[in-house]
Amino acid sequence: MIKERQNEWHAGMSKNITFIVTKDCQLACKYCYLVGKNTKERMSWEVAKQAIDYILDREEEFLEESVIWDFIGGEPFLEIDLIDRICDYLKTEMYRRNHHWFNSYRFSFSTNGINYHTEKVQRFIEKNRNHLSIGITIDGTQRKHDLNRIWKTPEMEQGIMPKPEDERGSYKDVVRNIPLWLEQFPGASTKVTISSPDIPFIKESVLHLYSLGIKEVNINCVFEDVWKEGDDVLFEDQLTELADAIIDGRLYEDHACSFFQEHIGKPMDRERDNQNWCGAGMMLAVDAAGMFYPCTRFAQYSLRSKPAWIIGNIHDGIDKNKLRPFLTLDRCTQSTEECLNCEVASGCAWCQGENFDAADTHTVYQRATAICKMHKARVRANNYYWNKLFRKLELEGQQEEFERQKQKVREPKC
Amino acid sequence: MLKTMLQYLIILLDEASVAYCHAPSKSPMREGLIPLETLRKGIVFAMKENLNIQFVYPERALPAEYEEVIESIDHTKIKPESQGGEADVIVLTDWNNGATDVVDGETCIIHASRTDLQVHLAKIQELLDKVVRLNNVLTDIETFKDEDIDGYRQVLDVLSGYLIEQFKAGRMVQLNLLTDRLFLTEMNNCGAGDTNVTLAPNGCFYLCPAFYYEDPKQNVGDITTGLLIKNRQLLRLDHAPICRHCDAYQCKRCIWMNSHMTLDVNTPSHQQCVVAHVERNASRALLQKMEAEGIQISNTHPISEINYLDPINNYKQWK
Repeated sequence: MIKERQNEWHAGMSKNITFIVTKDCQLACKYCYLVGKNTKERMSWEVAKQAIDYILDREEEFLEESVIWDFIGGEPFLEIDLIDRICDYLKTEMYRRNHHWFNSYRFSFSTNGINYHTEKVQRFIEKNRNHLSIGITIDGTQRKHDLNRIWKTPEMEQGIMPKPEDERGSYKDVVRNIPLWLEQFPGASTKVTISSPDIPFIKESVLHLYSLGIKEVNINCVFEDVWKEGDDVLFEDQLTELADAIIDGRLYEDHACSFFQEHIGKPMDRERDNQNWCGAGMMLAVDAAGMFYPCTRFAQYSLRSKPAWIIGNIHDGIDKNKLRPFLTLDRCTQSTEECLNCEVASGCAWCQGENFDAADTHTVYQRATAICKMHKARVRANNYYWNKLFRKLELEGQQEEFERQKQKVREPKC
Repeated sequence: MLKTMLQYLIILLDEASVAYCHAPSKSPMREGLIPLETLRKGIVFAMKENLNIQFVYPERALPAEYEEVIESIDHTKIKPESQGGEADVIVLTDWNNGATDVVDGETCIIHASRTDLQVHLAKIQELLDKVVRLNNVLTDIETFKDEDIDGYRQVLDVLSGYLIEQFKAGRMVQLNLLTDRLFLTEMNNCGAGDTNVTLAPNGCFYLCPAFYYEDPKQNVGDITTGLLIKNRQLLRLDHAPICRHCDAYQCKRCIWMNSHMTLDVNTPSHQQCVVAHVERNASRALLQKMEAEGIQISNTHPISEINYLDPINNYKQWK
């Protein structure tokens, strides 16, 4: 009766290994945290193979029961030939080695969707259908999507930005592929990113995505310090209106939106609720140069103001000392007293890479708090949503049924 | 204003002041005295902030007017043996070759690798005969491998046996690697940036001399505008997730080494942890030997048996 958000595949039990196959993308999204995108750093087959061999040669060091082989860019499908070769090799090698990840693996993609329909991508999907997760990013209505997700121009590489009237949005190039994607992955969800300029379009965008047939919308505010005075008020208004639309339209029965979660906005215990938010350091990323990172957000193209946090390379292996700060990361050590005493702390997310990038010193132990007021606004709207929904269910005599069904909803891990 | 926990101001009197810890053993910079005006300002700063001053001397003699300013305040002197004389701590820069006549009854510092200790055991014993306290700065922690553990254990075992002989003879000599842990019930680390801060000849503050010698741009304020240590909480024990669960209390917990090896000041390397635990366990063995020999030294504390050398391997027990 209420659609729950889907859990990630083998959440908590799988190793996430990311190939940064290219740092190029057809788009130049205005909110993109990848500040160092370029056309030059494309992964070669030799680097990819050495990375795979390094990892599979050390089965005893990678004991997680499953693996998610993740491919990102830039836009990963720009390198579909390489990806196809990598995946073929992975399957062959995991089988040949009788590796414990064989038959417990997933290939995962986050794509802008532009090349989704192409013959090569479709052939790859057909070949790997049962082991694939593909997320297409579409930001909502055309005006919301095209506000940020614009085509890159050759001049941009020289640092020359187009005039607003010359910007070319990518909505139409993406939306045409949504039906095919949903046909192939009926339960697929999309990821929406909110930055300051697109707050006014949140409600219409979520409803638009629902109307396209996307049942689950995972949506989050960027962690960077982009927020202006009054953004939180506007944000709260948008979410409140969205709450009304979802509840009044009974959309909650078969749609989910990650903004509204029953268990967020509560105080957190310093001892019991002390775990880190994300899996940085438990993951592994490798780029075109064969460098290893604790997650992609620590590669140089993701960082505005810090040097890359390199933990090794495909030739010399992983320097475990460089991983130690991540292994003991907890919530309290990196949070301010204000965060620790916050009465609506639960569900307030952070990105370890952004924490590092925004920190005053070279550390992963300083939590960035740029989203503070946005989280508090979200909590107020979330409270409104659940109070309204519970009352409705009560009046309709469905509350007991809801209580029986509900499961504790976990926040997505980045 | 500084927090009250800051207790010491280390003043490097020269760009080539003697290295007394894990800092590079020789300054890569040219020699250059701290300007007299900077020295005076440093002393006034320490007086106003209620800090004890430790002056670190270079190999060459200071001009008389410097000594005059230095003597205007209560302080501690750290000197190379060439400048011996009235020093509270003497750094023996050529200990394995040079004469050690100057060290009678002193507290001395040497820099020795694990191999140095093995090769020059006789010289170490000779020093232990003379000094009241010998601090060894292990110089090869960063390259210490797990296969080196047994060798280091053996060296410490030999030195432990020698200390027992000294104790039996009624000489309560201290060797930091073995005796510090006997008396500790809580962490007693270097405290760089937490309990002490360094003033360099360029008038800037540093978390410790090593950060200055490595790159003068790593300063944390200056004598004119004041001390500004960002993320200072990360230098404290309660913000060091591994160390706050550790009982190798004698460990230096060198944040400069941390910043090199793990890239985060609050996280020690595997090597630093292992070395500290080999020493901790050697202290435990020393205590057992003392008990067996009926040697009693006041204020020692029992050291429990543990089954790890790197506390991160005990991580699950922390929760």
